[in-house]
Amino acid sequence: MGKAIIYSDGALAAICSNLEKACDKQMKPVAASQFSQLSDYFNTMSPPVEADSFSELVGLIDSDISSGYAEVERIAKEEGDRGALRCMTWGKKVTSIHKSILGRYEKQGDALLEQNNLYVCEACGFIAIAKQVPALCPICKAPSSRFVQIS
Amino acid sequence: MHAARNIALCTKDCLCLFICPTGATDTETGQIDFEKCIDGCRLCVDACPSHALYLVFDRYPEKEQKSHSLGSALASVAENKVTQEAICKALEQKGGPGEKLAKALAVSNRILAEDCTRESNYMLPQTEHVQVLLAELAERKAEKDFPYEAVEYLQKEYS
Repeated sequence: MGKAIIYSDGALAAICSNLEKACDKQMKPVAASQFSQLSDYFNTMSPPVEADSFSELVGLIDSDISSGYAEVERIAKEEGDRGALRCMTWGKKVTSIHKSILGRYEKQGDALLEQNNLYVCEACGFIAIAKQVPALCPICKAPSSRFVQIS
Repeated sequence: MHAARNIALCTKDCLCLFICPTGATDTETGQIDFEKCIDGCRLCVDACPSHALYLVFDRYPEKEQKSHSLGSALASVAENKVTQEAICKALEQKGGPGEKLAKALAVSNRILAEDCTRESNYMLPQTEHVQVLLAELAERKAEKDFPYEAVEYLQKEYS
């Protein structure tokens, strides 16, 4: 198994919310709710962040695209890990869309949001800014039922 | 392996009721009675006209472990995503016209982080990797409000 990787409480929250979903898919609601409690705990434990504007995200997004995803992709190719490559393909696309949305928001300001609804694809994380829910996710092809509307 | 029902697809034709030898499908919970369900039987799965029934493994074969370098690289993307999620949550808290966008980005970043954790050995609850993680979490028992009972339950359920 190699040396253990140390995760922050924020990442532990994501590990546990993902395992909650895994239990739900296996129809294990009690186990799912235990992972949910753990995820909630780590959510409250992760230290609060000061943030003033969306521009603070841009640097992190750029580093994801240029180094984070690129590095995983390089190793996954070397090791022939198709699962990790799949994760990178979608993740990179969704991350690029984050960047383009932030660019549009910067240009158009609040008008962009006033005229549209926001939808997130729960399968891949794609964000749609539109009047109506997309029929199909352009990234992962999930149907409209997989989108949640942000209210 | 036992059967499970996706209630979103169930059309109440109820062929599963006729065909199940033990009555495991005859419940009012919407779900199969896992205690009664016969390991690997799959009669209901094949009978259902709406594909609402499927088999779930009780034990999965152990997946091949990811290498340490791949695990670390995935963990570092996951960490970056949860950092972005935290920034978005802070922006959401601030309120104002950008609140919804911040919320959407927070949700999206969590999904991206989860996907990375899935690929770094945390896909299924019934794996050795998750057991090791639970053992590590159990050491945090003394922390205020730590849901230790949840860890205990999961250690037992998936041991």
